Amino acid sequence: MENLSSHSLSGTTKNFIDKVVSEENGRAGALLAILQRVQESHARKFLPRETLEYISQRASVPLSRLFSVVTFYALFNLEPQGRNTVCVCRGTACHTRGSSRLLEQVMMDLGLRAKEDGESDKLTATTDDGETTLRTVACFGQCALAPVVEVNHVIFGHMNERSLQRELEALSKREARP
Amino acid sequence: MSQQVSVRIDGELCTAAEGQTIYEVAQANGRSIPALCHMEGLSSAGACRLCLVEVAGIGRLLPACTTPVNTGMSVTTESENLAHHRVMALELLFVERNHICSVCVSNGHCELQALAQKLGVTHVRYPYNYPRLSVDTSHPRFVLDHNRCILCSRCVRVCDEIEGAHVWDIAARGINSMLVSDLDRPWGESENCTSCGKCVQACPTGALVEKGRAVEEMTKRNVVVTTLAAKRDAHP
Repeated sequence: MENLSSHSLSGTTKNFIDKVVSEENGRAGALLAILQRVQESHARKFLPRETLEYISQRASVPLSRLFSVVTFYALFNLEPQGRNTVCVCRGTACHTRGSSRLLEQVMMDLGLRAKEDGESDKLTATTDDGETTLRTVACFGQCALAPVVEVNHVIFGHMNERSLQRELEALSKREARP
Repeated sequence: MSQQVSVRIDGELCTAAEGQTIYEVAQANGRSIPALCHMEGLSSAGACRLCLVEVAGIGRLLPACTTPVNTGMSVTTESENLAHHRVMALELLFVERNHICSVCVSNGHCELQALAQKLGVTHVRYPYNYPRLSVDTSHPRFVLDHNRCILCSRCVRVCDEIEGAHVWDIAARGINSMLVSDLDRPWGESENCTSCGKCVQACPTGALVEKGRAVEEMTKRNVVVTTLAAKRDAHP
């Protein structure tokens, strides 16, 4: 299993966690809400070890329980995420319309390699420069638009290699500007 | 006083208190339903799927340890179909990890092994997974061997409910599920662990054992946990 990324806690973050915990604690499903809000507040959209330890202490949740929850839900990230997110749908409809080729292409363009742990059906990888995170998803529920790629939470349907490349280029151009 | 309900278990009319599970009522009436994750004194998890029973009028099998009895319920605890499912559940437990009895410290004192013998599992019909799993020897007195773990979560519950430390939990999901201590740290580094050893006594297999035991030497005392739980109940 992965080793947790480390990122020291600032006073502001601690205050924010205190606030979130006091607002949410006691409600049903409070832990998920706390984790989600704290992750969202992080610039790199992830939960470092120090953050989890602090939440455990403030919300009186055992460390192992926290680890169980953040590893169960795909929503939670334990690794820093890229500034841009590209999500390729690997559902059946998208697969028959060629999503595996799209995925291969994005990985080549971004210089990412599939992990060799046999878990090829699910993928989360971030480029070394921390710019882009590539994910796969089982289905967006937008099968009529297959193949579907989501770029920074915007859905693009009927994608092909060309249109996908255009979107990726647009992303890198946007970054080039100050 | 809670309400009394009448249920039929294998045709025999039994009275039970409302809220009791099928497993408890069956046991109170002299039937033994096989189970690996259930333990007297702990909450029910429904993890091992060995206590599945048939309930008249319900098309699927239900876990006896988590299903409360209802008035007029008719339960079957032994049948060809149930035997088939229980054997399959055991076989799937065996293929999932590396259960090699001949070199296991719990050989001869293992609930998984004993149940397989009792239910007549002589061979396994599915391909073995042979996962590469680690052994955590960082604790000064105990060892965690993931190869023998069946994810029954008894250790998780005994540590949480009886000891109150909640050192253990199950991380990830599906085939990747794994027992972890704290934030997936070595057991020996856990500041919450009191080294009480109740998880070791509760573990049905050779996954949690005492250090320094050779093959066949690790006997467990489940009764320690059950007695403690009963005493806790007496002094609320």
